[in-house]
Amino acid sequence: MNAVDLLNLTIAALLLAGVYAAMSVGMTIIYGVMKIVNLAHAGFLMLGAYFVYQLNSSFGIDPLLGVVLAFPVFFLVGMAIHWLLIRRLPTSDQPTLVSLMLLFGLWLVLQNLGYLIWGNADRAILTRWTFWVWRIGPLSIPGVRLVVFGAAVTSVAALEFMLHRTWFGRAVRALMQDRDAGRIVGINVDQTARVVFGVGIAFAGAAGGLLAMLYSFSPDFGGAFLLRAFVIIVLGGLESFAGVAIGALILALVETFSILILPASYQPAVAFSLLVVALVVLPEGVAGLWHRRHRPA
Amino acid sequence: MAQAAPPGMNEVGSAHESSRGKLFARSLPFVSVVLLVLLPLLHPGPEIIRLLFITLVWITASVAWNLIGGFGGQVSFGFAVFYGLGAYTTALALNHGISSWIAFPLGGFVASLASLLVGLPTFRLRGPYFAIATIGASEAVRVIMTNVSLTGGASGYRIMETGAFHQLEHFYSALALAAVVVAASILVERSKLGLALVAIREDEDAASDLGVNPYRAKLMAHSLAAALTGAAGGVYARYAAFIHPQGVFAFSISVAILLMPIIGGVGTIWGPVIGAVVYGLIHEELVASFPQLHLLLYGSLLILIVFFEPRGIMGLLGRWFNAMQRRRRLSGSHS
Repeated sequence: MNAVDLLNLTIAALLLAGVYAAMSVGMTIIYGVMKIVNLAHAGFLMLGAYFVYQLNSSFGIDPLLGVVLAFPVFFLVGMAIHWLLIRRLPTSDQPTLVSLMLLFGLWLVLQNLGYLIWGNADRAILTRWTFWVWRIGPLSIPGVRLVVFGAAVTSVAALEFMLHRTWFGRAVRALMQDRDAGRIVGINVDQTARVVFGVGIAFAGAAGGLLAMLYSFSPDFGGAFLLRAFVIIVLGGLESFAGVAIGALILALVETFSILILPASYQPAVAFSLLVVALVVLPEGVAGLWHRRHRPA
Repeated sequence: MAQAAPPGMNEVGSAHESSRGKLFARSLPFVSVVLLVLLPLLHPGPEIIRLLFITLVWITASVAWNLIGGFGGQVSFGFAVFYGLGAYTTALALNHGISSWIAFPLGGFVASLASLLVGLPTFRLRGPYFAIATIGASEAVRVIMTNVSLTGGASGYRIMETGAFHQLEHFYSALALAAVVVAASILVERSKLGLALVAIREDEDAASDLGVNPYRAKLMAHSLAAALTGAAGGVYARYAAFIHPQGVFAFSISVAILLMPIIGGVGTIWGPVIGAVVYGLIHEELVASFPQLHLLLYGSLLILIVFFEPRGIMGLLGRWFNAMQRRRRLSGSHS
């Protein structure tokens, strides 16, 4: 392996990290505010992929525009599901057995909906950039990955901006730190939670659309990505957005470079090994490590 | 019967339970075991025996899941890992000429070792880590087993046993294992381990303050559950004589093992048994005709149980029993 290959792999990992981050922020924000592990995330990733696919094949809508449309649609779906199911769950500082079971059940239902509507054949989306490769000297960058990376980073940056520059974002960050204290200072916890759930699902749907441009998909498409999202948010310390970015980068690098020593079919095992290592070595995630270094108790 | 009351269960009925009802409840398990032992005398068809065999295997896995998921409140989405590893270990052992008396426990032992891989890193931590890791483990193990050439990878693995096929022998081994598991469940519930697990489920901090070691208790219950599930996988593998990763490691196996105790009633002795019987019948009779709807059915069942009857069938039975008692008491005071 020479330097060019190394550089190509690093670029591939960086581009992958972008979409991994977009895929995981939805889960992080929901966990942060509601302390719910959204197992149905996988189902919404899958639905997002089919949403973009269907818009593209029925109406000829560009996949990128489809991803943009997925945000409002999945936002409303998320709010509806919160209203219908999630708000009835008892609140807790820890994910409860009940919430895990509920969201797992929801995942199964969504998966079956996928099978009923689209069957179990593998689908793929062809974009204008699928066969376009950008060459800079000896480096070659697949165009579609670049476009997906751009879309993913833009959406994560928009969320980050919203969280830090708006009152809604302040409310969200306050609830992530302490729900009761948030209530005391006058945050409408239920309404904020509903919007947050909507945002989380919106990101799941849009990320599913982005992933669909890179990989073929079927109704059980989400499972492997659910595992990856877990690894990323555990690496990121569960509640930190900077942590998600770092976690996504670590996972993407490890996965990309593992191709050198392991067959590609072992990739889910790579993600799981990383999860176990992360739990043993840094249970509070990378962010926890940073806190320990910089703020000795 | 000193059953652990899941949170919020009202125990009005048991205090007034009539001695006749108690005797009935206590003898029911023995009567059903004796009936099952004697059943082959009636010469039921092989199809019935097969259905009973499968149900007994499900009962074993369901009761085993309940040890850690029900008593300990640590919900696992990955029991197919143990089921599958037990199946493959037993298959390999049988093909090397090892007697099934050793092959089944060996399957359990390997599954129990695998349980440490998930348990050791996650049980020390608070939070959703265990549940997350179980999903990861089932994905990872399925992928690995699909690619391992020793066991034929994705195309599956055949067990070559010499000698004639005796269906009843399989039936009795499943029955014996199910009896062992239920006995183990009763013993655990009455032991210090069971009390520790329930304490952890209700409040881990309080349990830990009272001198319970949550890490050790969870680890022990989890590996016991894994061993029993692994043995169940082994019994199934020997019967099926052909196993493949998409079968024994399938996501749907994990879903089934999770669903059965929840249908029946988590954290009780008999709930998981009832749940497994109900699931076995629904799955074999109903869902086999509508395979395209089974995830929808199970998913919505899970959601409905969570919202309306978190204690499953045991909860429904308890409610019905209370209503009966109340009515009898009312009519008694009038006469």
